[in-house]
Amino acid sequence: MDIRRTITGVIVALIVIVQVYPLAWLFITSVRTEQDFAGGNPFALPTEVTFDNYARAFATGNLGLNILNSFIVTVGSIVVIVFLGMMGAYALQVLGFRFSKLVRALFLIGIIVPVQVALVPLFVDYAAVNLLDTYQSIIIPLAGFALPTSIYLFSSFYEYIPGEIYEAASLDGAGPYRIFGQITLPLSVNTMVTVAMVNSIFIWNDFIFANTFVLTDDLKTIPLGLQNYIGAMGKVDWTATFAAVCVSITPLLLVFLVLNKAMTYSLASGATKG
Amino acid sequence: MLPQRSRLSVLVFLLPPLALYGIAVLLPIFQSLFLSFFDWDGISPMLFVGLDNYVRMFTGDTVFWIAFRNTLGYVVICLVLQLGGALIVASLLTLLRRGREVVKTLYILPAVISTVAIAFLFQRIYSLDPEGLINQVLEFVGLGNLQQAWLSDVSTVLVAVSVPEGWRFTGLYMLIIYAALLAVPTELEEAAKLDGASWWQTFWRIRFPYIRPVWITTTIIATTNALRGFDIPYLLTNGGPGQSSELLTTYMYKTAFTSTNYGYASAISVFVVVECLAAVGLIFLLLRRKADA
Amino acid sequence: MRTTRTRLTIAATVAAFGLLLSGCSAGGGSGNTDPTNVDPDGEITPREISWLLSRPADGGVITAMEQIADEYAADHPGFALNLITTPDRPSYIQKYETLAAANKLPELFDTDATPFAQKLAKQGKMMDADALLKDLGVYDDYRPAALNYQRFDDGSLYMVPFEFQLEFFWYNKALFEQAGVEIPKTLDDIPAMCTKLRDAGITPIALDGQDQWPLERYMAYYPFRTAGPDYVQQLKKGDAKLSDATGEQAVQWLSDLGSAGCFQDGFSSTGYSDAQASFTSGKAAVYNIGTWELNSLATDALDPSVRDDIDYFTLPVTADSVTAENEYVSPSGIGMAVNTKTYDPLVRDFLSFALKRYPEVYAATGALSPTTNVETTIPANATPLYQRAVDQANDVGEQTAMPWDTQLDPTSNTRLQQELTLLLQGEVDPDEFITTMDGVIAENGPKAFK
Repeated sequence: MDIRRTITGVIVALIVIVQVYPLAWLFITSVRTEQDFAGGNPFALPTEVTFDNYARAFATGNLGLNILNSFIVTVGSIVVIVFLGMMGAYALQVLGFRFSKLVRALFLIGIIVPVQVALVPLFVDYAAVNLLDTYQSIIIPLAGFALPTSIYLFSSFYEYIPGEIYEAASLDGAGPYRIFGQITLPLSVNTMVTVAMVNSIFIWNDFIFANTFVLTDDLKTIPLGLQNYIGAMGKVDWTATFAAVCVSITPLLLVFLVLNKAMTYSLASGATKG
Repeated sequence: MLPQRSRLSVLVFLLPPLALYGIAVLLPIFQSLFLSFFDWDGISPMLFVGLDNYVRMFTGDTVFWIAFRNTLGYVVICLVLQLGGALIVASLLTLLRRGREVVKTLYILPAVISTVAIAFLFQRIYSLDPEGLINQVLEFVGLGNLQQAWLSDVSTVLVAVSVPEGWRFTGLYMLIIYAALLAVPTELEEAAKLDGASWWQTFWRIRFPYIRPVWITTTIIATTNALRGFDIPYLLTNGGPGQSSELLTTYMYKTAFTSTNYGYASAISVFVVVECLAAVGLIFLLLRRKADA
Repeated sequence: MRTTRTRLTIAATVAAFGLLLSGCSAGGGSGNTDPTNVDPDGEITPREISWLLSRPADGGVITAMEQIADEYAADHPGFALNLITTPDRPSYIQKYETLAAANKLPELFDTDATPFAQKLAKQGKMMDADALLKDLGVYDDYRPAALNYQRFDDGSLYMVPFEFQLEFFWYNKALFEQAGVEIPKTLDDIPAMCTKLRDAGITPIALDGQDQWPLERYMAYYPFRTAGPDYVQQLKKGDAKLSDATGEQAVQWLSDLGSAGCFQDGFSSTGYSDAQASFTSGKAAVYNIGTWELNSLATDALDPSVRDDIDYFTLPVTADSVTAENEYVSPSGIGMAVNTKTYDPLVRDFLSFALKRYPEVYAATGALSPTTNVETTIPANATPLYQRAVDQANDVGEQTAMPWDTQLDPTSNTRLQQELTLLLQGEVDPDEFITTMDGVIAENGPKAFK
């Protein structure tokens, strides 16, 4: 029995190494010298540690501004996704109405359809209403495409709020708005964290919408900023790029580690209940 | 349903999300459908061509069919890695006594890294010159003759571009399945064990049927995610060598933004939408029926 | 009743999309409309103008233009030049083409002489650079080869060059000696050279296969020697075919390069930096790259162990070559186009100032100016090769080998890049390659160049 446990432990440890190794490699590469990276074995331990790459990363690009922009876009989208998602789920699951099945099916399309479909039409639409090169132009599609999953997660959670709670509140004379504010909203905190976390990962790293709709340097987000490290003809300053990558994933990583518990708990419960 | 809901309150809650969704998702899909009947390069006048784009897609375009085949392969590999990996790790996790939380956290970490960084990383891992990680390991275990440039060989490249995608999100699926496994009542398993059932039998007869609904959900999420896979093949190989790792999504993107053939690209995206809907329908059909039987 | 309503809805929807889609292509009624009106009337009112460009963020062109814009702004309060760069070329092209579709191009934007750019020019969306440069009195300063590189097939000029580069075959003398090979006299000597180098355990040619364009250069070489620069112009319209004698020879030569193992194993997934590192670390014997890499190849940034062994030769000829030895690939980089709609006295005045000032500022960075009126400053840490390469620029012939990626229509170009990799890897044979490519070009080429 114990042998089996040990074997399990070893296997799990190996799997974890496979999962974590790349992150470690990123950080190690970011403190390598350029010569060491190009000439030496990029998978061995570095011969010397240097922070020049970070200096170059900050000198070449506009990392601070990029991070700020990513932050604005991520927070903006998340607020929209969480609140509109809750509202939609509340209307569909708690209030209910005759065509709710149809509306659900409509939202399902958004989970399924690849985002690239929207690029050309959205660009043309934005140009017509002068929305190009704004934060909104990135937030709208990011939030729009994430909304269905958000509604889905909130609905499957609301499904398990016992009906008696609502009935009791109704008897006390609470209308749908008060019930939403005083019962549903406070109960949703864990799901809110989950929705926020899962989506931040995608939004923080989104390249395709930002690259299509953002033109000026002032609005460039991190993935676009990383492109600045790729020179003409495809030449790349690898070590500085990896330093920039490390800087760019740090905020997300920190948030992730802090909120991890709430997220893993409710992601799992949300999905299993659904 | 709430007893005191009014039609107005439903609208108040439903309209804002529906409006955003309509603008960001539904309208562009309809515009794509509309565009797919035109020949348009973005700057010249649009030319109505009827079904020409679809005719070309189904009858005249070999790359389209190669991309379609590759997409199916890509989905299968991603599913095996993501769901298979998730199921195995989740099961192993339930056997652990300590450290479950730590393992869970570490296991999802790759999901945090941006695709740009992942592409950089896997280029290094697959590389032959300079010798990448895989080739170093092969050399180390004495299989040096198997060394090759994994992204350059037409027979290995599709697997090579699928692995990073599978690897990256397996953690998320593992979390979901792990939670479902924990919810399996222990009494059932204990009873089975007392009856002399092996671990494997317990798993297959008791545990798996119990988590089937979750399994369906997870399969759907994973399939649709794989069907819209784009970044990693695009960044790693850009569909090459030849068309060996071209997916429908990368082909559509190139048709739109390299060839500026927005009409034809829209026809491809309409196909992708239909294909995704069909895939989800199929999964429902297959897994539900099994559940009933 | 129901059908009427449905029909009305469809009509309304179609109309709405139509408006959205056409609204942008027709939009922007105001502003200049005449691409040859290079000296418009009116006051110079300083404002912010933008340049959408695809050049390295800290490269010579951008630093030079930033400095010049600051100088101009000092005399013209309120002026600013907003440089929006996307160095990664595929991302840039996507951005610029969608902007063009939305009719939102800024005052200045970068483009190669592609079919797409030609359409823009035909629609009068780009200022006539021929007229503009002549009017500003700088036309004669430019190297003819630099201007020719920017021209469309009909000889018209709509883009202004900001660089001038020569593409050489850099090679490692020590490795050549070790394998007992000479500099190839003709293109046909290259496969044999590769075999010998391979036999000596040396990577013959380091190639960045990931970025596609370096391999596509090899497609251009043979026809440029045997048929001259016109060949690709006919080929892309479907007037010439790869199944012709010229094409067949070229494809056969490429196939020979492949079977001789000229490029490193796994070249198609090797990136730019890795290919260069393979040469500068003394592993590969030959590396085909332009003078934009002088800083890495002809200064003390180069590894001391190979520094004295590095030399270069230019594109070899063929036995019956119609182009001369001093004619090869000499690009002037992506060009800058001037948007007609936003062209006004201010843009003219700024360009007049900037284009006169630019050569001096740019040459001081150690780069080759597209004009002949300045001397390139040789950096202090340069090896003797640097000066030689710079001097070579004055000896370039009239005709230039155009890279095919700027010539073919984009669909054929994408396919050619894919098929080339397969040909060189031996996945398809020359006949299959020719059949596929002739088919693709026949389908897409004539349509794009009508």
